[in-house]
Amino acid sequence: MAHTAIPTARRWLSLDGWAVLLSLALTALIWADLVPPVRW
Amino acid sequence: MADIALPRPQRIDFPRRALELVPGIALLAAIGYAGKLIEQSIAAYSKAHALHLPNIEYVLWAIVIGLVIANTVGVPRLFKPGVATYEFWLKAGIVFLGVRFLIGDVLRLGGVSLVLVAVELSVSIALMTVLGRLFRLKPKLISLLAIGSSICGVSAIIAAKGAIEADDEDASYAIAAILALGAIALFFFPLIGHALGMSDHAFGLWAGLGVDNTAEATATGALYSDTAAKYAVLAKTTRNATIGFVVLGYAIYWASRGSAQQIDNKAQFLWQKFPKFILGFLFLSLVASLGVFTKEQTASLANLSRWAFLLTFAGVGLMTDFREMRKQGVRPFIVGAVGEMAIAALTLGLVMAADAVFTI
Repeated sequence: MAHTAIPTARRWLSLDGWAVLLSLALTALIWADLVPPVRW
Repeated sequence: MADIALPRPQRIDFPRRALELVPGIALLAAIGYAGKLIEQSIAAYSKAHALHLPNIEYVLWAIVIGLVIANTVGVPRLFKPGVATYEFWLKAGIVFLGVRFLIGDVLRLGGVSLVLVAVELSVSIALMTVLGRLFRLKPKLISLLAIGSSICGVSAIIAAKGAIEADDEDASYAIAAILALGAIALFFFPLIGHALGMSDHAFGLWAGLGVDNTAEATATGALYSDTAAKYAVLAKTTRNATIGFVVLGYAIYWASRGSAQQIDNKAQFLWQKFPKFILGFLFLSLVASLGVFTKEQTASLANLSRWAFLLTFAGVGLMTDFREMRKQGVRPFIVGAVGEMAIAALTLGLVMAADAVFTI
């Protein structure tokens, strides 16, 4: 399992920027009140 | 030919690769949500029957369900690509968590954490190196275990693997050991924290400093309290920020011994290894501190962070396979376990001392 984890994790680590972009895009939508309130 | 061909397959592959992720992400969501439902059902049952059942957080249920699947039937191949996205949700969750911190608090607590991180790093690297030599582990496996236990588990090991040109086998083992030890720590830390009557702030800092992988550190904090999870993330993120420096140090060491390549541009190396999601976290903290969001918007963003962490916690269990330990024998695991216990005790002492001095 860990053997496949290395290449997969390496690929996803390079997606740090995507995680930030996704978060900021959703934040902008919430700030603009374009999505309903998120409940927990 | 190669210049033209390289970017294209990625674009063509993108919808297919995105589809490959769906089953695993759905599994993360199903396990995380099942954990939440179990917690709510037990709470409702104990309330309806006036019982005093212990409140076991959804975090623990999600991790335990994942652990049972991973260590019995195993994660089916179809789900693996999506399950591996758990780190992605963790990072998105940390960015969202930025809205729950005032930037002044981040800087103040980050400063305190940085002092503690410096001590923790030096001692854990020294300790792992001594223990590894004592148990006659391979030198590069020692480096990987030292990096994994001193900074941030999987990310650090992967960053270091390329830089010090370590074997796949050593890196796989170090990752498996760090994940297994992290999973064990998250069961014990909250018990010790409650026994010592630690405050949410102090416990969060301890979890952030003492538990290796960011996902497990966050889960350990969340098992204690919501506030503890916040502080665990802050301390762990400070630790993650040092990743480039430590990996660079090891890369220079191995290059000087002729078994890794020289690094010419050190500034570029440090930037490459720097976890960029920290910048997103700081940005949202700054924006929230300026009063840009309403109370409802802040609540929505904080809840998004919780949902992202829910997927992460399910992934923690699914990615931890204790059977991996058998492949390299018991010695590296003993080194890891003894080292981790010593680091946990050291960081506990550090946090208690800091609590008394700085009133964290």
